[in-house]
Amino acid sequence: MKELIEELKTEIIDVLNLEGMTPADIDENAPLFGEGLGLDSIDALELIVLMEKNYGIKLANANEGKEIFKSVKVMAEYIKEHRTK
Amino acid sequence: MDNIVITGTGIISSLGAGKEETLEKLRTGQRGIGPIRHIQTKHRDLPSGEVEYSDEQLKELIRYQEESIITRTSLLGRVALKEALEEARLDGTEGLHIAFISGNTVGGMEKSEQFYYDFLHNNSRNEYIAMHDCGACTDIMAKQFGGHFDLITTISTACSSAANAIILGANLIKEGRVDIAVVGGTECLSKFHINGFNTLMILDKEPCRPFDADRHGLNLGEGAAYLVMETEATARKRNIRPICKLAGYGNTCDAYHQTATSPNGEGAYLAMCQALKSSGLRPEDIDYINAHGTGTGNNDECEGIAMMRVFGDRMPPVSSTKSYTGHTTSAAGGVESVISILALTHGFIPANLGYQTPIEGHNFKPVDHVIENVTLKHVLTNSFGFGGNDSSCIFSALDTETPAPMQASEAGQCYIQSAAHVSIQQPIGDDWFHNPVMPAQAYSESIEPDYSKYFAPMAARRMGRLLKRALATAVEALGNHPVPDAIITGTGLGCIANTEKFLTAMIDNQEEFLQPTFFMQSTHNTIGSQVAQHLKCHGYNCTYSHRGTSFDSSLLDACLQMRAGAIGSALVGGHDEMTPAYFEMLGKIGYWKSGDVSPDALRRADSPGSLSGSCSLNMLLTDHSDADTLCRIAGMDMLYQPSDEELRSAADRILHQAGLTVKDLDAVVTGLSGDRDNDAVYRTFLQQYCPETPVVWYKHLFGESFCASAFGVYAGAVCLHKKLIPSHLLYNTSEEISNPKHILVHNHFQNKDHSLILLTL
Repeated sequence: MKELIEELKTEIIDVLNLEGMTPADIDENAPLFGEGLGLDSIDALELIVLMEKNYGIKLANANEGKEIFKSVKVMAEYIKEHRTK
Repeated sequence: MDNIVITGTGIISSLGAGKEETLEKLRTGQRGIGPIRHIQTKHRDLPSGEVEYSDEQLKELIRYQEESIITRTSLLGRVALKEALEEARLDGTEGLHIAFISGNTVGGMEKSEQFYYDFLHNNSRNEYIAMHDCGACTDIMAKQFGGHFDLITTISTACSSAANAIILGANLIKEGRVDIAVVGGTECLSKFHINGFNTLMILDKEPCRPFDADRHGLNLGEGAAYLVMETEATARKRNIRPICKLAGYGNTCDAYHQTATSPNGEGAYLAMCQALKSSGLRPEDIDYINAHGTGTGNNDECEGIAMMRVFGDRMPPVSSTKSYTGHTTSAAGGVESVISILALTHGFIPANLGYQTPIEGHNFKPVDHVIENVTLKHVLTNSFGFGGNDSSCIFSALDTETPAPMQASEAGQCYIQSAAHVSIQQPIGDDWFHNPVMPAQAYSESIEPDYSKYFAPMAARRMGRLLKRALATAVEALGNHPVPDAIITGTGLGCIANTEKFLTAMIDNQEEFLQPTFFMQSTHNTIGSQVAQHLKCHGYNCTYSHRGTSFDSSLLDACLQMRAGAIGSALVGGHDEMTPAYFEMLGKIGYWKSGDVSPDALRRADSPGSLSGSCSLNMLLTDHSDADTLCRIAGMDMLYQPSDEELRSAADRILHQAGLTVKDLDAVVTGLSGDRDNDAVYRTFLQQYCPETPVVWYKHLFGESFCASAFGVYAGAVCLHKKLIPSHLLYNTSEEISNPKHILVHNHFQNKDHSLILLTL
């Protein structure tokens, strides 16, 4: 799990182009949206692409992301359970 | 000044070609939504409003016999244009000044996405390279007219493009610049568009249901629609019976988010209020609202809130006809204006198909069935675009009282207060004036400033380099001045680095794993709306994408509105970037020199091509001057395919209006670039008009790009302010010129689009 969390943090920084950030700057329990990292709806869509491309998880609509992207930890748990690659 | 009236309309959409078919489908509640047939995409099962005619069938409709290749965007446009021109009985024999303004976003993308790797790797499809941009699509449509358009340009504000074309047309007529304006928009479906909207997860897998609580997004459509507008007096003179009036219009910016509407629909609210104000009507006078109503969760909720803010509990009947046509994006403002006019003149209200349940918090229900036998006097139509480019137009029956539009005062002045750039010269300031960088080859990268002083990395996470440049130059040009009244942007191609990323990913990954960010940023009005967002500017916002006169179009729009007193300040920009791939493609069609690009070599050159540049320049225009003011814009005009004589008399007219003659000119700034054909046009004008006047050039320093003319204006302004034209800017003499007072800037693109701008101290 720890490994997946670290991997995810790196992928998020890369895909969202969070310049100057390192995995250590992201608290795995902090909210990704609003307060916390401060991501928005477009970032959520980028994360949906990330999940599909890297883990073979396809979300039918953007609203499903709301629960899954609560924090890096929640996201990792969801991926662990649903990944197809 | 009397009313602006509509004297012709033309339309094509998935409902059919022409008003008759459209009307029949509207009144019988028949959707034009179905599976995709013409485009080879993985997403063919997505319901769409595709026009049933193939390209060949469209050509038959207009009896297309020209030899030039033509894109579907232009074909659709010409079908609608033909109908509008015929109804208005415009055939070119009127002897009047006529403008053609077309809204468009994807340009020739539907061909570029098929031939992209041919463009790069072989020479089989080179003829389509120059057909890619929005302006090229407008240019080839202009040939549909038997006569001569005096001025043409292209507006690219995504889904409000056509509505903004209507607004510019009205302003040109009010200013007396033209007698007639032919306005509207066109857009064809493309894989690029379908996949782009798909990444945003806003495409409904069922026929769309605008304003329904259970809506799941929009259906993309395609189509075109044009309107012929003129004053009542012109129509009377031409002995033509008007159809209705354009009573009012509003253009504002939500300045909130690139793809989302603000929760209280601020931009939409302001656009509707402005339209009402300019028409002199009260909210209760509106008999029908043709809503933007895309069917997405966000738009419909927020548009509803904005309408509730304007109309309170007296909401007029509302429907979104996107439930019939799908979302025709850039054409939507035209398509829905024509539909609104059909409703107005035939006394019916089209249905909001698929509606069942109201959205929580909305106090109104859209019209769920066609209503016949109603008297409509005033109809309001909304068109909102990505980036919050929100516009509203009001059409009124002929027998209604609406105040005549204000005659332009002609009193307003227009000064260039400040400017900042990122280019292949040292960025931001005027370092190039004393220490120019001499480009060593045809391709040079821009020199980037340190962006960290302008915005935090988090804010910049989705910005491509062109957006960063545009934002930094906007901040610098604005300095300590208050937020401008308007942001008007020129860009021939928008953020092409991101367009390329999306396009190549789409081709290489077979339409999978595509990133929304690159799609969003490919939309040309991203630049202007991002600047508005950064500055929180809700004022007028428009983007022009008309090849080599994209910047000039922006400047003309700003100057018109400032002269009329409609705005007191404007941030006007020109932004285009070069990428290695695009450089290579343009190289195939003769854009670049292969060897020496030194000033002497360019002067001597008897061959096609020049050196490339990137352009990001913002200038602040104000209606008053102070010690820092660079110069005054004493006059300007744009002309389409002028004869040599027409060009000379336009220059005479501009000088005369400023109380000057050609002898007063201290210099003419030209786009001489070493390209044989391009230079010949400038030389002809110079020889015929002002053979004695010193010639200034700038493309040897800034390179060629669609918005390069911004540097011509900028160079002229800086020379006036510094009271010196340095020798490195002089084309035919090496002696610097002191104390210049009057400078004329001439720009042209392929001898089709010309602009003349008079700068004085």
